[in-house]
Amino acid sequence: MAAVPSERIDAGTLKVASANAILTVDDIVKRFETPDGVLTAVDHVSLSVAPGEFVGVIGPSGCGKSTLFNVIGGLLDGYDGTVKVAGERVRGPHPAIGMIFQEESTFPWRNVIDNVAFPLEIAGLPRSERYDRARHFVKLVGLDGFERRYPAELSGGMRQRVSMARTLAAQPKILLMDEPFASLDEQTRLLLGDKVLQIQQQLKQTTLLITHNITEAVQLSDRVVVMTYRPGKVKRMVEIRLPRPRTSEIVSSEAFGRYVAQIWSDLREEASRGLDDEESRKLHEGEKR
Amino acid sequence: MAETGRLRLPAARPLGLPLRPVTALRIAIIVAVVVIWEAVSASGWLYRDVVPSLVAIGKALYATLSDPTFYFHLGTTAYEIGIAMVIGGLSGLAVGILLGGSKFMSRAYEAYLYYLGPCPKIIFFPIMIMWFGVGPGSKVAMGAISCFFPVALNVAGGMREIDKVLIRVGKSFRANTWQMVTKIYLPAMRHPVINGARLGLGVALIGTLLAETKLSNRGIGFLVIQAYSIFNMPQMYALLIILFVIAIGANTLIGRVGGLDDIKRS
Amino acid sequence: MTAAAALAKNRYFPTAIGISSFVAFIALVELLIRVGVINRFIVPMPSDVIAAFPRVIVEEHVLQRFLLTAGEAFSASILVTIFGVAGGVLLYRYHLLRLATETWVAAVAAAPLVLMYPLYLVIFGRSALTIVMMGFTAGLAPIVLKTLEGLLATRRVLINVGKSFNLTSSQQFWKILFPAALPTIFVGLRLGLIFALINIVGVEFLINFGGLGQLINELAERYDLAGTYAAICFVILVSICVFILMERLERWLRPVD
Repeated sequence: MAAVPSERIDAGTLKVASANAILTVDDIVKRFETPDGVLTAVDHVSLSVAPGEFVGVIGPSGCGKSTLFNVIGGLLDGYDGTVKVAGERVRGPHPAIGMIFQEESTFPWRNVIDNVAFPLEIAGLPRSERYDRARHFVKLVGLDGFERRYPAELSGGMRQRVSMARTLAAQPKILLMDEPFASLDEQTRLLLGDKVLQIQQQLKQTTLLITHNITEAVQLSDRVVVMTYRPGKVKRMVEIRLPRPRTSEIVSSEAFGRYVAQIWSDLREEASRGLDDEESRKLHEGEKR
Repeated sequence: MAETGRLRLPAARPLGLPLRPVTALRIAIIVAVVVIWEAVSASGWLYRDVVPSLVAIGKALYATLSDPTFYFHLGTTAYEIGIAMVIGGLSGLAVGILLGGSKFMSRAYEAYLYYLGPCPKIIFFPIMIMWFGVGPGSKVAMGAISCFFPVALNVAGGMREIDKVLIRVGKSFRANTWQMVTKIYLPAMRHPVINGARLGLGVALIGTLLAETKLSNRGIGFLVIQAYSIFNMPQMYALLIILFVIAIGANTLIGRVGGLDDIKRS
Repeated sequence: MTAAAALAKNRYFPTAIGISSFVAFIALVELLIRVGVINRFIVPMPSDVIAAFPRVIVEEHVLQRFLLTAGEAFSASILVTIFGVAGGVLLYRYHLLRLATETWVAAVAAAPLVLMYPLYLVIFGRSALTIVMMGFTAGLAPIVLKTLEGLLATRRVLINVGKSFNLTSSQQFWKILFPAALPTIFVGLRLGLIFALINIVGVEFLINFGGLGQLINELAERYDLAGTYAAICFVILVSICVFILMERLERWLRPVD
């Protein structure tokens, strides 16, 4: 079997440019002021996503990937570098970017269809059109029949699907997901991953997924960006050359295993750096008392 | 150069004044209230001296606090409330433990407490007078029934919140009832008990004082009504101020002692 | 399973025991009074009290009184809801104001405000206005505090969802913050309304003016023992009904919990 190709990135700026990239993240630097001094969460990170592409960003805890998510989504400001959508510079939440959050984010006071119709309501769509469109997306995520139910009556996985449908209903050019399945068990994750693949393939949705789960990243992505522990930089980009359309069955293939192994070897180094750093911090905190 | 963001909101920063903005605003509000009050008072706009000058109130305050008979009345009220809290509190505690500890008892009787709780207890006063006379007895009774309900309900709820495993530990060591109560239930229920006591104090205070305003010849409530009847407004304000300071202080004290937020109503 | 055991397992058994023990207690009191153990001039016979109900209802125009008290309660409720929720929203919106005054509001919530009724008597006279204002004053603070609490407790992620959809400040408030806070606001409204009601009936009794509260006072002053007890029972019943109604309302308005 052929060796799995990858691209090694130097620590420094590099644009993997496609002429028609729809999302360009260019040389982002984001620092925070903490009681212990200045913390660099994201250190000169660049990447780009082509239309219809599914890019996964993976890294150890504390690598700044959630910061990156918030920066691209426009929820954080005060950073260096630019985020461009279809060539236009973006600063702040943009209708072309849809965000799906890690935590439980359905509106508990609205039922499923009202949740999903939310962005359409905001956009001022008339009632019947709103509900027609919302129903389409409810069906897309596989929750038809549940339109009138309330989030409290649904399982965690179903609620995340509602959040997904809600974001998709706004038909964003780019879908930004921050560990959307973090609170779910492994099997639900795999099955929801299937759902996401299905939807993405059907809509040709450009997606950027932030995750710490290697299986998930390889299962869903066309390309995986591996980040270092903070200060977060791009360590490696791995092209995932697995056939499309895919299903969760792919996780049992050899090629899949090799991709996972390769990414893990990169990640393990960063993760153990993170662990050591964490331990020494806790030690110092204990000593201070 | 990258801008730096802040991870946390900064604590109130000095504006270049020697004061923090919060303190400055508080002072501004107080000053505004004082100015408006004095203006209304001086203008005579509200009839019959309803808004006396702060100076007059201050004088009345001083006069009251230096009057020995005031302390007699204060003592009477305090004594009434104290006994009311002991009676109401202890019986509330006992009933609460009983109801909270047994699902059966709770389903049989707790509803009565729950629905009687929000009734205004002052309406029972005529009965209390018949049973306990026109003296302190009826006032204590009012305070006690007022205090009983919040304590009982809070304790019952608190009992149910106790981690069941702690109760099993006690039973496994074969603790008797008294030991269970003092060594397990009460320590585990510290928060609900303190909260119940706070609420109980609040309503006992109200119950006793209202009873005093209605029918009494001693106590703070009596003094307030007396001031009303002779239309001594500065005196009434002075008494109310003293009363509120004591009530809020006692509430805060119980909270501090019990280690909770400063002032909670419910 | 034996019949007795089956009965004991019935889910209504405890409630039935509760009710029957209550009835048994009343019967015992009746007996003790008839026998003379309890002085009949201090505790009227339960049978007399029950007999007094229809008399009181008709002769004392209980319906009118009820409507009067209800009217006072209703006015106070409207006032206190508007100002209470608005106050809470204001404190939420103006950070500095909240930091400055929150402890003050909490202090007011803990103070025995009802003792100001003689003051209100002077300001508003012996009228329904005094009673309504007293209800308003008593119910205000809890509503302000709970509204504030509810708004502050909105989960961060929901606010972020709003931001990610680029909502205006106004949309953010009405479509996300306010609905998210509504359950807590209702708790505050229930508390505030109950305090208002307690104070309204109490002050009616104390100043001998108004509806139901005044009825008790009057019957007591007339030494109509059975009537007084009957009136008290009646007020208790009304208060329980209102309370249950409010709970139902709250549950209906909060389908999710």
